[in-house]
Amino acid sequence: MCAKQTNLLQGTLDLLILKALGPGELHGLGVSRRIEQITQGTFQVKPGSLFPALHRMEEAGWLTSFWGDSENNRRAKYYRLTKAGKGQLEVETEEWARVALAMTRALKAT
Amino acid sequence: MKLWSRIKSASRNLLRKPQVDSQLDEELRAYVEMVTEERVAAGLPRPEARRTALAEFGGIEQVKQAVREERAGANIELLWQDIAHGIRQLWRNPGFTLTVVLTLSLSIGANTAIFSIVNALMLKSLPYPQPERMGTIYTRVAGPRPSDERHHINGEQWELLRDNVPALISAASGIRASGVNLEAASHVEYVHDARVSARYFDVLGIQPGLGRSISIDEDRPHGPKVVILSYSLWRDLFGADKSILGRAILLKGEPYTVVGVLPQNATTPSNADIYTPLQAARNGEGSGTNFEAITRLRDGATWQQADAQINRAWAHRTAPYELEDSPGSQVSYYSVPLQQGQAASLRPQVLALMLASGFILLIACANLAGLTLVQMMRRTPEVATRLALGASRWQIQRQFWIENLLRALLGGAASIALGFLALRGLLLLLPEHFLPVAQIPLDGRVLAFTLGVSLFTSVLFGMLPAVVTRRVDLRSSMSTRAIVGVGSHRVRQALIAGEVALTVVLLAASGLLIRTLVHLETLPPGFNPDGVMTARASLDELRFHDPATFTKLLDESTAAMRQIPGVQQAAVGLSLPYERSPILGGIVIVGAKEAVKNGMADQVYVTPDYFSTLQIPVLSGRSFSEADGQKTEHVAIVNQAFARKFFHGEDPVGRYLFKDMRIVGLVEDVAMAPGIDPGAPLSGEETLYGPATQMPTSMLAMIHVWFQPSWIVRTSGQVDGLPAQMQRALATVDPNLPFSGVYSMRDLMAKTLATQRVEVALLTAMAALALLLSAVGIFTLVANNVAQKTREIGIRIALGSTLHRAMLQIGTPGVFASALGLVIGLVLCAGALRVMHSVLYGVGVYDLPTLFTAVATLAAVALTAAIAPTLRIARIDPATTLREE
Repeated sequence: MCAKQTNLLQGTLDLLILKALGPGELHGLGVSRRIEQITQGTFQVKPGSLFPALHRMEEAGWLTSFWGDSENNRRAKYYRLTKAGKGQLEVETEEWARVALAMTRALKAT
Repeated sequence: MKLWSRIKSASRNLLRKPQVDSQLDEELRAYVEMVTEERVAAGLPRPEARRTALAEFGGIEQVKQAVREERAGANIELLWQDIAHGIRQLWRNPGFTLTVVLTLSLSIGANTAIFSIVNALMLKSLPYPQPERMGTIYTRVAGPRPSDERHHINGEQWELLRDNVPALISAASGIRASGVNLEAASHVEYVHDARVSARYFDVLGIQPGLGRSISIDEDRPHGPKVVILSYSLWRDLFGADKSILGRAILLKGEPYTVVGVLPQNATTPSNADIYTPLQAARNGEGSGTNFEAITRLRDGATWQQADAQINRAWAHRTAPYELEDSPGSQVSYYSVPLQQGQAASLRPQVLALMLASGFILLIACANLAGLTLVQMMRRTPEVATRLALGASRWQIQRQFWIENLLRALLGGAASIALGFLALRGLLLLLPEHFLPVAQIPLDGRVLAFTLGVSLFTSVLFGMLPAVVTRRVDLRSSMSTRAIVGVGSHRVRQALIAGEVALTVVLLAASGLLIRTLVHLETLPPGFNPDGVMTARASLDELRFHDPATFTKLLDESTAAMRQIPGVQQAAVGLSLPYERSPILGGIVIVGAKEAVKNGMADQVYVTPDYFSTLQIPVLSGRSFSEADGQKTEHVAIVNQAFARKFFHGEDPVGRYLFKDMRIVGLVEDVAMAPGIDPGAPLSGEETLYGPATQMPTSMLAMIHVWFQPSWIVRTSGQVDGLPAQMQRALATVDPNLPFSGVYSMRDLMAKTLATQRVEVALLTAMAALALLLSAVGIFTLVANNVAQKTREIGIRIALGSTLHRAMLQIGTPGVFASALGLVIGLVLCAGALRVMHSVLYGVGVYDLPTLFTAVATLAAVALTAAIAPTLRIARIDPATTLREE
């Protein structure tokens, strides 16, 4: 659909989901739309990778879920960051910054 | 914390699977609906919106599966699927499963039964409080004739141990319970009396249920006569009457005051009906090693302290008997846990049985490895298909291991039932009180052992096939459809050779034991045991200390028994063939070439008709007669072993023993349980017979404390009601003298040879099992060969090969493997059978007839097992087999 899409790097999806849930709870589609929005359409997350990731992160204790009503009054499963999830977001953000810096330097090197 | 949440979610995922799944379903459906709504709002027609939303998923089921795999507990779920698949596989192959489970239950069952004996004898704690603090004392002699064993102790040792070893609470007892007469209500009973010192029950940690133990004062020589009753005797003879305490009962013809009753279920090493004070002294009984010591470590003391104190206390004795035979040797003493000391005599036999049952397990594993290998080969196409569909080799291996484990566990479960039955059967074979433990339970340790063995066997028989099938080549097995086993046939042959080799060893070992038993049972007994019945009575009573009363009893009772219709002769002897006799030391032989001052021989007093009643041949001189009385010359009769040892085989008649005891006769040796040199279970030991009338008064009292004489009658055929008639005949002389029971000489021999019988029964059963397993192994090897090569054989026959040649070609591997196994087995025998040296009598370790029989039996069975399946070749119709292709 979108002209330009980038494949998600391994591990990047987790960070994006954590980031997307940072401001507050969202349901599955909400997470997907939010990632699209904050990456300005660069990343589109398909349900095939979104749901396994959400469930895995819930098992890991980073997210917690509950059933609530969506904006058009449909029952939907919402996800929210746990305390551990917030910690994980910080850790992964730092990690990402380091990797990104290193990569940028490496590519600029002559 | 994190682990906990994982366990929580794993258990939720596994236990509430339907809810979790339906929630996932709802979540995904909501997603699709929301996307659809979005697109409808953006202007797409509803069906189109829904279609694109679904397409975005790329398959809802795949997404669901991807989610499920992320969940905690996914591995457990996979494992469960494998197990379910495994169970279906077992179910689908009932013949194979049944063979495996049956083989395993037999072989593991044998191990379970033997291990439960080991457990009861050596591992399970004795039924006393703090059994690890209980001990007995071993004597180690270093020097030219070294020894290291539990000795009986004498009176001096006992006093020193009791008084000078403060680290221990010590107790002594008579060597075994002896028979005494107890008068209860209207009649007299023959009961077993254990003579024990004060503190005996303290060492065992038993508090009398009623009353108290034997006091120190009561244990002094010539102390008061008191008695402690066992619970069962108190209940059966005295109706559990509590007022019995403090009352006197008539025991050995004298009043004994009851001071205590043992609690119900209390067991002691002597297992007696009543307990009387030992009242040990240094003289009399105490001048010889006639006591058995048991000890308990006092609180705060150590075994090192105790051993040092024992060695110090026993170092300066007036005459250490240990060094009599080997002057200049060093003797030392040390404590050994009581359990180990008690089971020491049975340990080699039990360990040998353990080894034999281990062999059975190995043989069974070899068989099962072969069978499993074939089974896996047969499933090569399935494996290839699964590999082609993307299963990893690990997944396939795991599947096979799970199936093996399931089979092993099934077999293990069946083996517990079988082991239980085998154990009950074994206990029926054993005489009462044969094992030093009251019962052999199937407890947690036995069950754990069985589980361990099951797991071990599953690894053992699963390992080889797993290694072989790792090399399954995907392409070739897919294309040829045939079962490819790279070298698998060689492996199976090697397995068969191995199990045949072990079977040879087991067969040879059981053959040797059978020959030993046959040898012992057919030993020339030295007398005629047919038609002889015997009964024992206790003469440990004050009135029989008088030689006149004693002689009158023997004379008149034997005369009365001769009046019983059908009884030809009657006699009395202190001991009987097949039994133990008291040992007399310090025999002096007058005028011998080398002076003998301290000879040892069995001593038996007899009535004049003893030799004629038992039909023991008098080889030289005469038998005793009524004329040999108290006042006449002292006479003796010796047996051939005695003449050989002390007279170098010359005729001893006319020679003198001590000062004035003339040897008047020489008799044939009889088979008896030896006491001087207990090497063989039966032998003709040096024996000195004396007339009952000439027994010294001092000896009469003492010898009847330990031994109960036997009345012997020879009958001309079956006599109805003989026991009652014998008892009546005895009652005409003394109405208060009960017999312990009437036995034939066969009964006595069976009792003496009980150990050998049990060994033979067990080892023969195991050898038969090994033979059966080997036969099954060879049979299945060849049968599989036939099944695999049906097509090839069909083609060969179609091309003109003869049936004979085809059978030969198919059967050869089985025959070849067995032949190899036989050779290896014989080599193994050379090493393994040597350890049996100590349990064989009258047969050498390398007994050619036995080895030949073992090899011939096995060869015959192997040939039959190899030929039987080839007969199926005759039924192969070339046309049919070729058409099947």
